Amino acid sequence: MTRATDDVIIKTVSRIFTPFIQIFALYVIMHGHHSPGGGFQGGVILGASFILLVITQGLDRTRRRFSQKLGTIFCSIGLLIYSGIGILCLILGGNYLDYGKLNKILPVIAAEARSLGILGIEIGVGIGVMAVMYSIFSDIVTGGE
Amino acid sequence: MFLKVLSISFILTGFFFFTTATIGLLRFPDFFCRLHATGKGDTLAVLLSLIGLAIYHGFCLASLKIISIAVFYFVAQPTATHAIARAALRCGVKPWAKGEERR
Amino acid sequence: MEKFFLGIGIGLCFLVLLCLYRGIFGPTVLNRLAGISAIGTKTLVILLLMGFIYDRVDMFMDISMVYAILNFIGTLAVAKYLETKGEV
Repeated sequence: MTRATDDVIIKTVSRIFTPFIQIFALYVIMHGHHSPGGGFQGGVILGASFILLVITQGLDRTRRRFSQKLGTIFCSIGLLIYSGIGILCLILGGNYLDYGKLNKILPVIAAEARSLGILGIEIGVGIGVMAVMYSIFSDIVTGGE
Repeated sequence: MFLKVLSISFILTGFFFFTTATIGLLRFPDFFCRLHATGKGDTLAVLLSLIGLAIYHGFCLASLKIISIAVFYFVAQPTATHAIARAALRCGVKPWAKGEERR
Repeated sequence: MEKFFLGIGIGLCFLVLLCLYRGIFGPTVLNRLAGISAIGTKTLVILLLMGFIYDRVDMFMDISMVYAILNFIGTLAVAKYLETKGEV
């Protein structure tokens, strides 16, 4: 499963479509409170786009752009954003993940601070889910090596 | 009124192509013939149905998004059919000649 | 107009049941893969018709786009696995 396909059609079509799939995944993350979507669904679509790259272009070509070390770093960054916002609200004098207190550093009212806080943790969740999906797939497909 | 009649005719034509594609999927005697039926018939049926739905909704942003789903599907579904046919050829599936039994 | 969309939706659900026969009883694995891909196509149109019946087009449009992408990627992945495995 790790070798590239030797077919021109599949390689070209997947190379054309991958940027559009990734932009659509970012759209799904950003519109979490207007339409179905949010962090988890957008992260899954982002991870699926990298899986499409692995099965059509080959594993070593994809690893040149997105190495295993970068995948581990992105896992941790996603979790850091999520709990970082929570602890920031704790420091500013509220409960854990109490976004209303964020208006002490951002120049907005309390209701808008809640909306921005939710957007922030959705982005963190999306990055984490994408990195975990890519790491698990590249571990399973090489047999643990 | 004319727009409604046009959209209803597009959706009915799409439903007709869906029906014939499914009947072909069930009744054809060989794997490659069934792949022909579902690969071509389903793609055309989805294209016509989505154009009909976009015309019914009028000219706004949602109709452009529906057209973009149709364009994506028009390119992606024949590629997937080509991938399945290639896998079948590598695995040694032989085409069917007239006079053999169904498989 | 909703009755017309509902009728088309019920007809498409019946066609899904017919395609499921090929998905269960297909003689080889590749037949089942073609059947499931056809079911995915019909599900996409059924979802969009449901959006028009409930008058919330914007919501169901995103769901059907996501389903089209995942159907495409899944079919490519299973076809590649069967090709490298070597025998049906």
